[in-house]
Amino acid sequence: MAQQGNVGELLSMLDSPILGVLEDITAAFKDNLVCDRGPMLVNNLVDYYLETNSQQALHILSTLQEPHDKHLLDKINDYMGKAATRLPTLSLLGHVIRRQPSWKHKLSQAPLLLSLLKCLKTDTDVVVLTTGVLVLITMLPMIPQSGKQYLHDFFGIFGRLSAWCLQNPGHVAEIYLVHLHASVYALFHRLYGMYPCNFVSFLRSHYSMKENLETFEEVVKPMMEHVRIHPELVTGSKDHELDPRRWKRLETHDVVIECAKISLDPAEASYEDGYYSVSRKLCTSLKHHQTDPSASSYIDIQSSYGTSTPYSTPRLTLSQMPGQLPQILSPQSSRLSTEPQQVTIWSPSAVCGMTTPPTSPGVVTSESSQSASQPYSKAFGTSAGGKGTPLGTPATSPPPPCTSDDFVHVSLPSAAATPPKKEDKPDPGRPLLYRQQNVINSDKSLDIPSSKSSVTLSDLAEFLGGLSFEDSAEKDREEDAISKEISEITTDAEHMVPRGGFDSPFYRTNESLSGSQKKTHSAVSSVQGHSQTSEPLTSLDKPGPENARETPKQTFTPIDKPCGGSGESPAGNREGTSGETSILTPSPCKVPAQRRVVFGSGQPPLYEHLFEVALPKTAYLFVGKKTEELLKKAKGTQEDDCMSSTSPVEVLDRLIQQGADAHTKELNKLSLPSKSADWTHFGGSPPSDEIHTLRNQLLLLHNQLLYERFKRQQHALRNRRLLRKVIKATALEEHNAAMKDQLKLQEKEIQALKLSLQKEQARYHQFQEEHDNIVAQLHSQIRQLQHDREEFYNQSQELQTKLEDCRNMIADLRLELKKANNKVCHTELLLSQVSQKLSNSESVQQQMEFLNRQLLVLGEVNELYLEQLQHKHTDTTKEVEMLHAAFRKELEKAKSCVQQQSQRLDASQKRIAELESQLAKKDHLFLEQKKYLEDVKIQARGQLQAVESRYKAQKRITQAFELEILDLFGRLEKSSLLKKLEDDKTEAAEAAEERVDCGNEDTVAGNSEETIGRNGETKPPSTRGSSSSKGGSSSELSTPEKPQNQRLSSRWETSVLLEPSSTVPLTVGSLPSSKSFLGMKARELFRNKSESQCDEEGVTINRLSDALKTELCKDPSMESKAPPSPDNLSLSPKLQESSVGQLHIMDYNETHHDHS
Amino acid sequence: MADDSQRNFRSVYYEKVGFRGVEEKKSLEILLKDDRLDIEKLCTFSQRFPLPSMYRILVWKVLLGIIPPHHESHALVMKCRKEQYWDIHHALRVIRFINDSTPQVDVFLRIHQLESGKLPRNLAFALVSELQVTSQMHVDRQEPEDEVFLVIAKAMEEMVEDPVECYWLVSCFVNQLNSKHKDSLQQLPKVLEQYLNIEDNRLLMHLKACAAMSKLPYDLWFKKCFAGCLPESSLQRVWDKVISGSCKILVFVALEILLTFKMKIIALNTAEKITQFLENIPQDNTDAIVSKAVDLWRTHCGTPAHSV
Repeated sequence: MAQQGNVGELLSMLDSPILGVLEDITAAFKDNLVCDRGPMLVNNLVDYYLETNSQQALHILSTLQEPHDKHLLDKINDYMGKAATRLPTLSLLGHVIRRQPSWKHKLSQAPLLLSLLKCLKTDTDVVVLTTGVLVLITMLPMIPQSGKQYLHDFFGIFGRLSAWCLQNPGHVAEIYLVHLHASVYALFHRLYGMYPCNFVSFLRSHYSMKENLETFEEVVKPMMEHVRIHPELVTGSKDHELDPRRWKRLETHDVVIECAKISLDPAEASYEDGYYSVSRKLCTSLKHHQTDPSASSYIDIQSSYGTSTPYSTPRLTLSQMPGQLPQILSPQSSRLSTEPQQVTIWSPSAVCGMTTPPTSPGVVTSESSQSASQPYSKAFGTSAGGKGTPLGTPATSPPPPCTSDDFVHVSLPSAAATPPKKEDKPDPGRPLLYRQQNVINSDKSLDIPSSKSSVTLSDLAEFLGGLSFEDSAEKDREEDAISKEISEITTDAEHMVPRGGFDSPFYRTNESLSGSQKKTHSAVSSVQGHSQTSEPLTSLDKPGPENARETPKQTFTPIDKPCGGSGESPAGNREGTSGETSILTPSPCKVPAQRRVVFGSGQPPLYEHLFEVALPKTAYLFVGKKTEELLKKAKGTQEDDCMSSTSPVEVLDRLIQQGADAHTKELNKLSLPSKSADWTHFGGSPPSDEIHTLRNQLLLLHNQLLYERFKRQQHALRNRRLLRKVIKATALEEHNAAMKDQLKLQEKEIQALKLSLQKEQARYHQFQEEHDNIVAQLHSQIRQLQHDREEFYNQSQELQTKLEDCRNMIADLRLELKKANNKVCHTELLLSQVSQKLSNSESVQQQMEFLNRQLLVLGEVNELYLEQLQHKHTDTTKEVEMLHAAFRKELEKAKSCVQQQSQRLDASQKRIAELESQLAKKDHLFLEQKKYLEDVKIQARGQLQAVESRYKAQKRITQAFELEILDLFGRLEKSSLLKKLEDDKTEAAEAAEERVDCGNEDTVAGNSEETIGRNGETKPPSTRGSSSSKGGSSSELSTPEKPQNQRLSSRWETSVLLEPSSTVPLTVGSLPSSKSFLGMKARELFRNKSESQCDEEGVTINRLSDALKTELCKDPSMESKAPPSPDNLSLSPKLQESSVGQLHIMDYNETHHDHS
Repeated sequence: MADDSQRNFRSVYYEKVGFRGVEEKKSLEILLKDDRLDIEKLCTFSQRFPLPSMYRILVWKVLLGIIPPHHESHALVMKCRKEQYWDIHHALRVIRFINDSTPQVDVFLRIHQLESGKLPRNLAFALVSELQVTSQMHVDRQEPEDEVFLVIAKAMEEMVEDPVECYWLVSCFVNQLNSKHKDSLQQLPKVLEQYLNIEDNRLLMHLKACAAMSKLPYDLWFKKCFAGCLPESSLQRVWDKVISGSCKILVFVALEILLTFKMKIIALNTAEKITQFLENIPQDNTDAIVSKAVDLWRTHCGTPAHSV
């Protein structure tokens, strides 16, 4: 309790005027709150606040931290139940909620919400209701998904309050109803924005009832005109929009903006999407302008404004956007260099056309209602001289009767005006609107009127094209008006609200439907002011193409002009047109009507909300620029203008404005310091009531203000975020630009590389061709060489065949030579035979001659005897006869003798032949015999060799044995010597020593001899050894061979040991056994043949000796014996050459011959 | 001769078609039927054709002069040879050069030494102690000639069963090598280099680069006639030619060994390694090597005289 008291003191000190105390107290409270978790302090604070309405208490309460929220809410709930404290409690709640405490999500579970809803449903106090509704509206985005269970409560509240607005059951002051209406309007927006499907279904069900129909017509329907169709209505569902997932991503300000987005009310709405698109374009175009060198022309033009050229710069803008809505091309605005304000044209209609298509029809209707613009155009039209003027004026000045229903007619004169357009004759003294159009475009626009009558049937794009034309036409008209206005302004420039130059937008339509691109060369409207505002009109042709080139990227050319300024001019127009007429009466009943009228016009709010959209953009983009101030001003003016709008908010705003104005006026008039005095004077009504009303009003206003502040905070929050996004986006775009530059550089590099690659390829191809050529050459060479080689090969083969032929020939020749030699030998042999025969026959001839001579001599003797006989014929005939007979006989004898001789000759010849053959046989026999002998000898030799080798081996064995024996002897003697030495040692006998010495000497000598013999002689050492051992037999060693042979039989055994190897064949040859064997054989062989031969020989020789006793007979026999002797001679040397053994064999032969 | 060619008129065609030695056995039998064996004909036959194994020993004995050409004296001569062998054997036993445990090869060597009068005399001294004997014998073995003899004897021992025949064959074979082929054997390394140059220049270059040409196992190849290098089955075919008087075949066998193991030899870099490898060549493919060597020998030295 002490503490409570302490708290009370503290509370009292809370509102202390001393600043230091105040801070201390606040700190103390905060400390207490941190330490204490009980509800007491909070309750006290709430009580205190309700009592004193202390700002400090409010501040502390609104910054309460987590554990205390429950107490606070409970306390507030308590007070909410009481009607008296309901209002301050609600305001406290509002304060707390607007702070967005960290525990705001608990609100949905708190009983406070229920009591608030109950209060709203049941309460009848307008102020409480308005405040409650505002609190609810503030609270809704904080608890989007948790508040859904109360959805029908919300809707019910909306239904009740909207009905309340109309029926006014409490009959409260209308001024309250305005506030209430505004808050209901806000609730409508919030509900529609957050829960469109549910809300729409609620509306459908609720206002289908007849009793509610009026309310709908009067209150809800106008509200609905301020909202777009919510996208959720299309894509979402009742359940979906209550889905917690939908809300999870959204923060409070997101929800607020979401709601604002669907609003068409300029006071409420937010066009972030549309705004973004435009701003982005602006950004890009701006950058483009800055970076693009072609922009220099623009700068030049700007700089050349200072020159005396009387025309404003016409900017040809050209855009090509096939298949899309008509795009706006606003050319370079003319700039009044002298004027401080830079005015740019914003062509709102374009944005309208894009964002809200239905505005165009709105334009149509508004056109009719715009009385203010009409006169301008009319005036312009008249001044332009109607259609007669060949310049752009006819295009821009539609004929007066041409109103809303037929805008396309506007393009007709423009089409007509196109041919002279190119002449480009400017009127220096007049504002000139210059319009350039393509012929195709004009044709198109000519086509349009026909289809215009049935817009619904015609294609949408065409219609849109038409619309764009309408827009442009309207724009033109506006511009005409503006130019006119400017001309007025220039006369009294300072009067007017600063409204600089304007811009003439040009439209470029491109329709893809027709397939052909229609290029509209929009003419630049050159606005001309007076001498001071006159701008140099550069030649149209020069910048035209440049601009034409650069504008496709630019949808909105005037970059450096603030967009806000652009919005200004239409706003100004509107002010001129509708703003004056629509002065609001505070009566709420008139508001809808008024609103309807204004809505009917349609156009102004569109421009205004566009302005609203544009505003933040410019704020972001041109912070720190001079123009910003202008914008602010413009905004101020615009806000003034906005009073004319008829949304409940605006009504409320205007009400406040009016009130404030009246207040100041009255204050000024009366110069009364006190408010009450003022009001008493002003109203005349009972002051207490009035004060109450005013206080309530003030309260409501405050609430409203707080609500608006809350909204502003949300907007600021969002703006910060968006600004960051924009900065990010710009950074990214700059990065993109840098990347593009890099890309260009790299492309250049790639190009260069490609070029070099091509060069390299060309070189490579060249090299390859050269290489191919060389290869081909080499191939041909190789072929040639191969060919040559083959030729050579053939040649060599030919030569070889020739060589072979030659060889064959040589061989043949050699063969022939051999044959010839053979023949020669044969003939020689024959010759020798023949010569032999010849000599034989010669000897026979000699005999014959000898016989013939004898015969001849005998014949002569006969003749002689005949002559003697004839002489003595007479004498001795008898004698003669006798003689005759004797001679005859003698003759016969001689003849027979001759015959015998010849016979003998034949016989001897035969004998010779026989003998010869016998001789040949014998020779053959000899040869055979010899061969056989040799064979046998070889056989024997083989055997002998074997035996001999055996013998040798035996000798070796004996040698080895001897060696062994000697060795053993040596050792024996050695051992005996050793023994004797030992004996000597024991006996020491001198004689024995001597003997031993002798023995030693002997053995030593024997050994030395042995070594000498072995070294020097072929004789085996064993012989010496044996001889030495045997003693006296050494004399026999020198015995010659012959004695050895003689003693062979007796000394056989010794000779085996002693004989040298060279003597062996001799001994073998002289062996009796072999002799007998050979002799036997030889005898066997020769006996048969030689005996028979000898017999025959003996016979023939006897015959010969018998036959030839004379000399003649001896010769042939000698000759016939001659041939065998050379054979023997020739045989003997052969035999002599052969080995010793063969000599022995020859000896046998000789002995055999001798024997035989 | 006439009937021989008539009988053999197909042999030319056999050879052309690739059948070798179809008629050889028959012709050899006919040759062996002659009473006085024609040694020249046998030589030529042995050079031209591989000998049938059943007649090989007989032919070798005839060619080496162990038995005379006359059939009549065969028995007598063989008896002599046998007696001689056993006499010497007995004598060696008596002077304790050999005993029962002495290996056959050593027995052959001792007999040969005794026969040629080269029996080491030191042995007499060595009788003093058994230790010395063994050491001396060990020393004896180191003598190159004896080593050659031992190796050849070992190879021959595998081919011939009868020790007497074996001894005589070894002895005569070694004598033939030492007397008849002594001069030509010394020329063989040069001849080998010459043919290697013809056959495979690159291998020769490699061998020369490794300085292995002078270190090739010439002793093993030419002095020992591949005894211990080739298995007996292959060795017989080489020795056929050697015994029949052509020691050039040794060159071609060596050449063929080099060519066959060319890749391995080229892979080896030092002369020692090459020598080591060649001294221990793998035994699996020697028949083919010998066949190729014989072919090579035929191509380079021409077919031996046709007049068999």
